[in-house]
Amino acid sequence: MGIIRTKDFGIRYGEKSILAHVNIDVPTGRFFALLGENGAGKTSFVKALIGQNQQTDGELKLNTNRVGFVPQFRDITRDFPLNIAEFVALNYNKGWRLWLNKREKAAVYSALKLMDLADISDKRLGLASGGQKQRAFVAQALVQQPNLLILDESTASLDHEHKIRLLQTIKQLQETQHLTVLFITHELELVAQFADGYLLFENGHVTQGEVDELQSLTMKMTHIHAEDEVRHV
Amino acid sequence: MFSYDFMQNAFMAGTVVSIVAGIVGTFAVARNYAFLTHTLSEIGFAGAAFGLFAGWPALLGMMIATSGASLAIGALESGYTKRDNVTSAISALAIGLGILFLALGHTSTTAATGILFGSVLGISRQNLLLLIVLAIFVIVTLLINYRSLRQLAFDEAGIFLQSGRQKAVRYIFLVIIALSVSISSQLVGSLLIFVLVTLPAASAKYYATATTRLMVLAVIFALFGTWSGLSLAYLTNLPASFFIAVIEVLIYLVSVWQFQKNA
Repeated sequence: MGIIRTKDFGIRYGEKSILAHVNIDVPTGRFFALLGENGAGKTSFVKALIGQNQQTDGELKLNTNRVGFVPQFRDITRDFPLNIAEFVALNYNKGWRLWLNKREKAAVYSALKLMDLADISDKRLGLASGGQKQRAFVAQALVQQPNLLILDESTASLDHEHKIRLLQTIKQLQETQHLTVLFITHELELVAQFADGYLLFENGHVTQGEVDELQSLTMKMTHIHAEDEVRHV
Repeated sequence: MFSYDFMQNAFMAGTVVSIVAGIVGTFAVARNYAFLTHTLSEIGFAGAAFGLFAGWPALLGMMIATSGASLAIGALESGYTKRDNVTSAISALAIGLGILFLALGHTSTTAATGILFGSVLGISRQNLLLLIVLAIFVIVTLLINYRSLRQLAFDEAGIFLQSGRQKAVRYIFLVIIALSVSISSQLVGSLLIFVLVTLPAASAKYYATATTRLMVLAVIFALFGTWSGLSLAYLTNLPASFFIAVIEVLIYLVSVWQFQKNA
């Protein structure tokens, strides 16, 4: 059974239709890239998925309640006081206990380790580098061991090496722990390297496709982008 | 100094208020609610003036006004992009009403000064008991919701599965702040609320990097200012609010300076 399934699903903002007649079925344990121009409805779709979008039509079924989400924007000022471990632990957001129990501590530690942050776990997040912050955001989303991980342009601010390392780690989780990944991105070379399926957002519709189609699509899109760039020059 | 009843009451009230202000302040500062806190204190002034006009205890009027206003601001918060402007409008209305009720109630200048600048040396045993009960209520409510409040205050962006409980927590948070403002105004007056609710917590965040340590440090800063302020007021016969304000501002400036030097 698929982890996400829609039937004639649509999203509106007032009178304006963002997406319509979306029929997709994302199987569990896959790495899906969400592609499309800015404003094509990728983020709106993800928001609907996690229950933040109210104006929807049709059917949208999410077959898990264990979701990790890394939002695109997060305002962390230099004087943000919490250290990285504390920030990751914010995801434990139920109950009253002031301190983490043993199990929670272990989960925080392994999330930090996965994201290469174990050595700087007591560093102030506000003073961490852009890449460290981004990895802390992902670690926070992973700490409760989600079945579905949604990354909204989470690699955009990382350098190439960190991008690859981050995605390799997530790919590994996907393969070993049957994690489903939705990766919103504009970086097509990463898509070709890591994703095994895609959802293309275009003109208010969503097309679902498999990895081999993705290759030719990637080439086509890279081609289009290249043409764009030539035109801009 | 402690042979006087009024000094005993003042120290006990100061201790209770500092603990509440330090703990709640940590969350208010993390959520960037400094301006809201200040506005609520002005609304508290209007509530207190209305209380005196209606013949109620000032604290009761204050609690009703601040809680009501914070719920209203919470309801507007989601829809309005410019929260600060809405807050300013409500604040202007509140101060206007406060002045009106002071005039209508023929409230004495002493009572009015008491609301605005605090009257810690005039706190009675009965007031003190009421403060303790309120303080316990606020702290217990906060602790019951500790983890969800912590996430809301420090990382709202991380909250994405919007449950009914999550929405309730936003309002619980606002009412906790409203009650803390009312409690703190007993000590420093409504004009100087941020001296205890905002400044100690804002200073603490330059030293501590975990929520529990932030709360402890904010309470220590608040207590230090309150106790020294009360002692200096006793020795010099000058207003306690003045000393508390100066001490808290100094702690804040030193914290910022040290942080900038080290960071």
